[in-house]
Amino acid sequence: MTAADARGWDPGDGRISTPSAARAPAWAADVPTRSASGLPPLAPDRGQAAPDWSEVVEHFREGLIVCDADGVVRHLSAVAERLLPEVIPDVPLVNAGVRELTAPDAPAEFSHRDRRLRVRRVPLSAGRSCRYVEDVTGSITRSDALLAERARSAFLAVVGEKLGNPLHPDRAAAAVVRLAVPTLAEVSVLVLAPRAGRARWWRAARSQDETPIVDSGVLAAADLPAAIEEGLTGAEPHTVDWLVEQAVDAGWLPGLPAQATSARVVPLPGHDSPVGVLLVARRATRCYDEADIDLVRAFAARAGAALTTAVLYRDQAEVADTLQASLLPVEPAEAAGVQWGTAYRPAQAGVRIGGDFYGSHRLADGGSVFFLGDVSGKGVEAAVFTGQLRQCLQALHRVESHPVRLLRLLNDALLETTQAHGQGRFATIVLGVVRPHRDGGLTLTMAGGGHLPPLVLRSGGEVEPVGLSGMLIGVVPDPRIGEVIVRLAPGETCLLYSDGVTEARGGRRGDELFGSERLVTALAGCHRMPAPALAERVEQVTCDWLGHGDHDDIAVLALRATGTGARGSRHLHAVPHLPDQREHQE
Amino acid sequence: MTAPAIESDPGHAFSRYLDCLAEADEYAAIEVALGLLDAGVPAERVLLDLVAPAQVEVGERWARNEWSVAQEHAATHISERVVAAIAGRANPRPTRGRVVVACMDGEWHALPPRLVAEVLRLRGWQVTFLGASVPVAHLVSYLHRHDAHAVALACALPMRLPHAHRMIEACRRSDVPVVVGGRGFGEDGRWARRLGVAWAPDAPTAADLVADERTLRRLPPAQPSHLAGDEYGGLVKRRGELIDSALAELRDRVPGMSAYTGAQLDSTVSDLGYIVDFLAAALYVDDASLFTEFVRWLVEILTSRGVPAGAVGTTLSHYRRALHDFPRAGRFLAAGEALVAEVGHAGR
Repeated sequence: MTAADARGWDPGDGRISTPSAARAPAWAADVPTRSASGLPPLAPDRGQAAPDWSEVVEHFREGLIVCDADGVVRHLSAVAERLLPEVIPDVPLVNAGVRELTAPDAPAEFSHRDRRLRVRRVPLSAGRSCRYVEDVTGSITRSDALLAERARSAFLAVVGEKLGNPLHPDRAAAAVVRLAVPTLAEVSVLVLAPRAGRARWWRAARSQDETPIVDSGVLAAADLPAAIEEGLTGAEPHTVDWLVEQAVDAGWLPGLPAQATSARVVPLPGHDSPVGVLLVARRATRCYDEADIDLVRAFAARAGAALTTAVLYRDQAEVADTLQASLLPVEPAEAAGVQWGTAYRPAQAGVRIGGDFYGSHRLADGGSVFFLGDVSGKGVEAAVFTGQLRQCLQALHRVESHPVRLLRLLNDALLETTQAHGQGRFATIVLGVVRPHRDGGLTLTMAGGGHLPPLVLRSGGEVEPVGLSGMLIGVVPDPRIGEVIVRLAPGETCLLYSDGVTEARGGRRGDELFGSERLVTALAGCHRMPAPALAERVEQVTCDWLGHGDHDDIAVLALRATGTGARGSRHLHAVPHLPDQREHQE
Repeated sequence: MTAPAIESDPGHAFSRYLDCLAEADEYAAIEVALGLLDAGVPAERVLLDLVAPAQVEVGERWARNEWSVAQEHAATHISERVVAAIAGRANPRPTRGRVVVACMDGEWHALPPRLVAEVLRLRGWQVTFLGASVPVAHLVSYLHRHDAHAVALACALPMRLPHAHRMIEACRRSDVPVVVGGRGFGEDGRWARRLGVAWAPDAPTAADLVADERTLRRLPPAQPSHLAGDEYGGLVKRRGELIDSALAELRDRVPGMSAYTGAQLDSTVSDLGYIVDFLAAALYVDDASLFTEFVRWLVEILTSRGVPAGAVGTTLSHYRRALHDFPRAGRFLAAGEALVAEVGHAGR
């Protein structure tokens, strides 16, 4: 039987002053009448094995003190004698000097001689009374320890959850110090391992409300307190005598009295050497004991893992960003008489690159080469192939500006590359040359390499498909390539798009193709729209159709004949593109 | 500038600016805005007293069926160019941390958050505007790569609230405080409170909130399981089936539907879908008024396009019968039907 069971067995609620009228007489009938000389035998009809009640009572875990009507102790069990040596038989209980035993308003539970006692007072017949004294030291200690352990696990669980995501390193550092307050410290300071002679630190200090105040700074590595330096080598400083003074000197402990502060330093484990050091400090009234230090260490282990992950993630993200930037479509170069509009939405949102591509290059004669296409495959590999393809075009357009011949050159170049690498990749593409006219119109000469034919929005509002066919690029040595010439009057628009638009699956059940008919319907009446708004509209209706379903890469390129007039050139200077404006399309 | 005295007041320039939007004249619109700047009007006032109310008017003209979707898109595009021109002229130097501004996934109303982004920029923040309909994965990967002080998220339509909530939680997991805005959270932001996230009614309030990181961090996140209940999930699962059966019923009741074009059919299907989506969002935040407000709006939109209010009522009661084992949804639908009946009477 454990102490907890014993507590559960307790018939009363532990209060001295709440005798149950129904219960008390039941005891009163038996126990107290023959106080010193033992208890009466049970009624004879109960059988032979009747125990000696005084013997039974002596083995109660509870001690018994029975007083007569005058408050004089008449019986004292061995347990009670051990727990309360002050109590002497045949002397008034008041003389023992233990107030909690006699005062009517005293708490049921009290500390006495390093033990925790619980007393229950039960009135007996003839004005006598019995006090049941229980030693609850063990169970209280155990439940305190259990609660503390639960609090520690809950704290570490929260820490694990908060630090579980890969965060930006600065975010992770701020989160570490913030989480340490107030459970571990009133002030917590995280010092990262110095880089290039400088160490960055974050500090969280407890404030009036729940949210700690977080700040940060930089310290020259040479100025780091000795204990921090020691911690950065991976050792946990054993002598913590000067730690508080060092931290105060560093200006890290405002509001904490230097004389009455307790502080500890714990390294945050990294890959080989510590990624940083955590300093925790609080008033000396809550000194760090061994259990506290264990908790700080467990916290530091999680914090170290989070910071290491964050740094690793940042380093890899930097590499990925650089590579991604080179694989993203470049916005078309400004060209006289042309208003460009683009939209790009890769299938994998987190990666932000895909197998669709578009772009333009200016020609020496005032025209521009433009293209939009789609390579086989998805994701990063496809994006790498679009990069090769765009580089080819960038070089080739300098030697050949006729669309069909340029596409043939591209086909040869890709065929050579894919055969050399054994990739078997191919692309579909529409490639054209746009040249402005004096009247503000545009002439588009386009070559088709197996891609969806463009649409033209006429000034009357009609949407015309352009008759353009052709074969895939990068598959056979001499592909059939279509050619078409389209005239755009001022205000008319030509729209190139990838199959991510027309093959978007959505609708009622999420499995219906968007199709070219819906696209044409969506474009009807949009002939007055500026090209960027038109491209965004195509992107929007496609995404609306998709709902939140998966999709293929989506790319749109619109060319609008802006017409003549001085305004076009003026506006280019008046409205710069903000650097961040299209950052989501990086 | 022909009338400098008038041009120094955004209120007076407003009607001229609207004319420019109606004409789709980008350059004249930019001229009006820059003229105000030249006359000494602060950039923030031009953004909030000229561009923002003009955009509200554009939305209302679309709702009244005076403007086509194409006109609305073109006007919005021009306003975006105007914002870019104002921002380029003001060109503030960033002195504070980085704030990321984005539209919720599926949300295309990018101009209001764009205005918030520019106001934040004018107040010294280094702002990254991620644009319309930002996928959660993109936003999260951005937050992991850049140390953002805060994220401002916009949501114009309440039906996106369940997705918005997911996005807010994703930001929280990245340990970045979130401010939300837009009519999607209700006129008074009550659904933002329901989701446990800070809400700003306008750009200046958003800027003040962003500057107060401690307040943002104090907000306890809401428990989605408390909010959603089981009806939300069940309704989302039955979305396609509900639309199918509602469409079949409409076909029986409205003889003209057999002559519908593909586009008309598509827009009927998407309206039927919106009703389910708004109902689901209302269940998600457990507020019937989200649904009834939508029904009132839908009836207005459809009436202005020649569709009788009764068609909405038919569909609502169809959904209510189909969802007989969804008591909360049933109550919301009944409230919607009552509203349709009331509007129908008023219309007669």
